[in-house]
Amino acid sequence: MSLNRPLGQCIRHTRHERLLHVPYRTFATTTEPPSTPEASPPPTPPSSDATPTHRYNPNLVHTPRMEKKLLAAQNQYPIGSRRRRAALATSTNIPFSQLPYQCFQEARKVLRHDRTEKVKEIEGMRQRITRLEARAGEGVESEAERKQREHRLRGMRKRLDDWKILADVNDPLVKKKFEDGMGDMNKPIYRHLSDLQWRSYKRRVLMQRITQMNVVPDVLQSIDPTYSTEIRFSDFHKVPHGEFVHSLFSEKPPVLTIQPYNQGERLVTISIVNPDVPNVGRDAFDYRCHFLACNVKVSPTNTTIDLAKLDPETQILQEWLPPHVQKGLPYQRHAIFTLEQDPATLNTVSASSAGTLDLSAMKTHEPKWAERDNFILRSFVDKLRLKPVGVDLFRAKFDDGTSEVMQRAGVMGGDVEFRRKRVEPLPYQRLKGSRFR
Amino acid sequence: MKPPSTALLRAFSPIYSQTLPWAARGCLAQQAQPKASFSSTEQRQKRNKGQQKRDPRIKLIRYHLQHGLTPRPLRFSRTRYLRHWTIHRAWQLHQRQIKHAQEQTLERQYNSMRDACEALRLIDNHGLTAEDRVRLGEPPEEGKEMGRLFRIAMLKNGVWDGVPIEYGRIQTDSPPREGWNHGWTR
Repeated sequence: MSLNRPLGQCIRHTRHERLLHVPYRTFATTTEPPSTPEASPPPTPPSSDATPTHRYNPNLVHTPRMEKKLLAAQNQYPIGSRRRRAALATSTNIPFSQLPYQCFQEARKVLRHDRTEKVKEIEGMRQRITRLEARAGEGVESEAERKQREHRLRGMRKRLDDWKILADVNDPLVKKKFEDGMGDMNKPIYRHLSDLQWRSYKRRVLMQRITQMNVVPDVLQSIDPTYSTEIRFSDFHKVPHGEFVHSLFSEKPPVLTIQPYNQGERLVTISIVNPDVPNVGRDAFDYRCHFLACNVKVSPTNTTIDLAKLDPETQILQEWLPPHVQKGLPYQRHAIFTLEQDPATLNTVSASSAGTLDLSAMKTHEPKWAERDNFILRSFVDKLRLKPVGVDLFRAKFDDGTSEVMQRAGVMGGDVEFRRKRVEPLPYQRLKGSRFR
Repeated sequence: MKPPSTALLRAFSPIYSQTLPWAARGCLAQQAQPKASFSSTEQRQKRNKGQQKRDPRIKLIRYHLQHGLTPRPLRFSRTRYLRHWTIHRAWQLHQRQIKHAQEQTLERQYNSMRDACEALRLIDNHGLTAEDRVRLGEPPEEGKEMGRLFRIAMLKNGVWDGVPIEYGRIQTDSPPREGWNHGWTR
């Protein structure tokens, strides 16, 4: 139910109950044809003449007496605040698009006209695209002509997508729906709006964390994320980008939310890489892969991926290894990379499984990708021609749960403590002036 | 001959000075107004009750000391804001359409003028182009007759009448590095 009157106005200036059946005098310049059905029936008046058969509406009851009666007669509690209920009960429930404000209605008329024009453009563009596509099979075509046609087609499709967004971007109801979080991600306008929203703040925070903590030159050379990623451990613990996660939380694999903003279903590879594993012999740091899964299906509406529920045969290359930082080590970064698999280069032999990776073949022919230690993500990405599209980060440090987590995971060295090499101080040297004292 | 009026000087003249300053006098005059003024609208009873009239200068000083320069922010309810947004978007769209139409008109006008000049450049005194002459079997035109109208149209006589010639190009501090673009073609 929409609230069409400002609440403050409602409280200050309540219409008389007897007048509620009289429709508002509207500002419309045209007369209403008498045959049109009433857009919205006037709301039920707060019942002053309540008979025992009368049912109270828990949405509209707004006096203490009526609330008590509602509870006694129907055993129901009122819904929402009394202020809200009063506003609902005393306002005319005209739908938002029919609100009787002249300027608003004129504005809607302008926008509607513009939308019909845009829709016409979209139709025309679609026809032109199909015509150009149909021309592909005709006659002999030189390489240059083919390239030119494809270039034109790309431009036309881009313009078509732009028109689709422009047709809906001025609609107040679309805006309202999006702000309520009810947008349908199958529609380009909602995808566009949520992409804008992500880029306006969250992506900037992500990029800041990624560059400050040097994930980008350390694990991969560079990344321009176009998918947003969210991590949740144990279903409820949402992790901000780069946050420390307690080892007991991160014992179970997380649930990822990978949100692409462009149309269609695609397969992605998810890898979690730790670039901070100490190598004592070399006095340096190594990489370790904590999780690697391929052929994960992602689309704008299918975004939640439970890493524990992936298929071990066809998807998982490396099982989840809980992050563990031994005592005395500095914190370790765990970078989550989403890599898009290219249907044009991967597994082109069978059209049905274009873009999928054959994991059993990989395990036999390329066993180094199934090894955790010294997993170099750069070469993995280069070899399989993956495209990095999303990134996220969390950190782990030694805490009270680490040793038992390591024990349960079967990792050696839960009781090892790392110590810095002691630097012997230089022998004390007398200051020059002290001998004169 | 009538002597000039001293009505305007009266406020500043010591001859006409009174004990109260002029603003305070105005204040008193306001207070002295009859309660039931001659007006068709009803007098509000709540208004100015128990409030004494202040010097308007003090009022102004207090106003300018206490009010910020920024206007207060717009605070709207949800639907009111959405309506506001709708109207704003429609207005922007309308402005855009108008501007687009103007640009289109300007471009059309420019193109047609350019085409007209091109046509003038190609004809002679009899309105025939070189191709026309070949087609009609006339001897080719010689001398200055070809494109005479174009040359006349290109004369800049009187274009800058009433306008300083400096406005012919945007004024800069120093002359351009390349004085003339010799490689310019359409």
